[in-house]
Amino acid sequence: MIVLRLGWRNLWRNPRRSLITISAVGCGYAILIVLIGLTVGIAGQMLKNGTGLLMGDLQLHHSGYLPERSLYDTIGSDEDSALEGVLHQLSLYPQLVGRSPRVYGFGLLSTGEHSAGARLMGVDPQVEVRVSSFLSGLQAGALDDSVERSLLLGDVLARELEATIGSQVAIVTQAADGSLGNDLFLVSGILHTGLSYLDRSLAVLYLEDLQELLALGPDEVHEIAVRLEDPMDADGFAAQLNASEELPANISARSWGELAPQLKDYVSLAQGMYGFIILIIGLFTAMGVLNTMMMAVFERSREIGLVHALGMRPLLIVSAILLESLFLGILGLIGGFGLGAWGMSYLTTQGLDLSRWMGELSMLGTRIDPVLKASWGWDYVLWSALGLLLATLLAAFFPAVKAARLNPVQALSAPVEG
Amino acid sequence: MSRIGSGSKGIWILLFLMGGSIGSLSAQVDSPQLSPAEIIDKVDQMLRGDSSQGRVEMAVVTRRWKRNVMMEIWSEGTDKALIKVLQPKKEAGMTTLKVGSDMWNYLPKIDRTIRIPTSMMMASWMGSHFTNDDLVKESRLIRDYDIEIVYEGDREGVEVYEFLLTPHPKAPVVWGKMLYQVRKKDLMPIRAEYYDENEELKRTLTFSEYREMGGRLVPTKSRMVPQDKPEEYTEMIYHELRFDIPIPQGTFSLSSLRR
Repeated sequence: MIVLRLGWRNLWRNPRRSLITISAVGCGYAILIVLIGLTVGIAGQMLKNGTGLLMGDLQLHHSGYLPERSLYDTIGSDEDSALEGVLHQLSLYPQLVGRSPRVYGFGLLSTGEHSAGARLMGVDPQVEVRVSSFLSGLQAGALDDSVERSLLLGDVLARELEATIGSQVAIVTQAADGSLGNDLFLVSGILHTGLSYLDRSLAVLYLEDLQELLALGPDEVHEIAVRLEDPMDADGFAAQLNASEELPANISARSWGELAPQLKDYVSLAQGMYGFIILIIGLFTAMGVLNTMMMAVFERSREIGLVHALGMRPLLIVSAILLESLFLGILGLIGGFGLGAWGMSYLTTQGLDLSRWMGELSMLGTRIDPVLKASWGWDYVLWSALGLLLATLLAAFFPAVKAARLNPVQALSAPVEG
Repeated sequence: MSRIGSGSKGIWILLFLMGGSIGSLSAQVDSPQLSPAEIIDKVDQMLRGDSSQGRVEMAVVTRRWKRNVMMEIWSEGTDKALIKVLQPKKEAGMTTLKVGSDMWNYLPKIDRTIRIPTSMMMASWMGSHFTNDDLVKESRLIRDYDIEIVYEGDREGVEVYEFLLTPHPKAPVVWGKMLYQVRKKDLMPIRAEYYDENEELKRTLTFSEYREMGGRLVPTKSRMVPQDKPEEYTEMIYHELRFDIPIPQGTFSLSSLRR
């Protein structure tokens, strides 16, 4: 107890020196918190853009569907993989935010004068919006169930077809029974995703309409896209689903990392890069703390020599100094956390607006958001706090040990602290 | 990609352009000074009347389904054709019009005529193993290919010519090479093999059931087999064929599509 009191009292014997040390620790910690926040934010945003627009966190397919994407390899094509059962099974998992069955096809769209090939995507908009965001960012209109055979077009595709809302578009496609599926659709919305390959080629229909056009049964879908609470759980969840007895064996689940390995690589690359930067800045901070701390202890060689000469045991001396620096560190971390949290409160809500330097741009099929928003990476924040604390203690330990070992005569002849 | 079209002997030959007077032809075949290109040209010419009209049955067999489509066809020269589906009922009235390198489909269900854009030329035509491109590209073997005879003689008891067709460096064709087997005695085609640019066989077209139809000897049956799906094929069977008949004005026009 005496050691504890001694440590605490030592702290305030030279408030100026202590405050310098505390602010060194605090500033370093605040910088680390913000850097970690930005890194986690960038990675999260990249993921959100990559998976949130269309892909989902994971997807379920008939095991033969990828990579050929054959019209015939549907979930629900046989009794073992009844769609209703699969959807029900999925809804039992609490970590699941949404799941959306989808049908895909390829067709020729024509407004009479103009024709263009398009990817057809059939969705149920009510469940789709819980999985992806492409339907919420419509430029105009929406899928409309009050008209027969409603259709959404990518904006570039619509321009190519010279179609606007209210235009009739004929769709011709190769149906699953070998016939030429064809029908008229009414354009009721225009999509803009910011990804040119989608805006140029995507036509979105109601799930039932596309199934009918493709001569697929009402229980046949090509894909079930799934949204999770945390995209980082996708790999584990996919593995869990694939191992599950409840899901039919001919259905396979793939996480976003498997579906878009380039996105995963990029996220890991970014994380690695920023992790490295954080590490370097963390080292600098630790060295700053180390330096301040060492100076503070060396300064006190004389004093330490005195208490030593008075008969205080070296172990107690070292403990007292270590405790003092522990207090310093904790106070610094608390202050730094406050400062960092203040910065984060701005960065998580307002974000860094980079739109001055970059317009709407996409990378690896992912739209990059020009407003960079931070988000809390609690485990990193905790680890860096521990790291800084350790650096503080280490910084105090060596000079303290050295001072405690000093011959009192030598120590006392050291320069008087100023 | 078994369905990649050819810039050459596609469905066009299959569908209509067959014929040729055996009598007049034999004399030409016998004449020894014909170059390989000239022989191919003869084959081309005799398989193509000034105009033709007929009924063709198309049988498409895939791993998933099998279907038969009965069609009526009209053609004039190499660049105009009209194909109208008669059966099955669900698709009756669907019509394809080809004029030059343009192609339109008429769909009676929605009463719309749709022009096939260039981007869809490699897509399957009516669910078959032929592409739209196969229909559109006119026969221009001589223009696009270097032709040489690589074999002349007996193949399974039949005297044949075997031609190797290599595309000119800048010819707008998708094939790396073609092997074309023609019966020597009457220049009837036997088979055509299509190779990609890696010299890999992609699909094989075989002709059979040579019969006189519309006053000419024609292979009344032909079958296209994609190499990567050997259990699948598209077969064209002629039920009726007439050559050099007067075709009403305006047959090959957009307005005739709806009729």
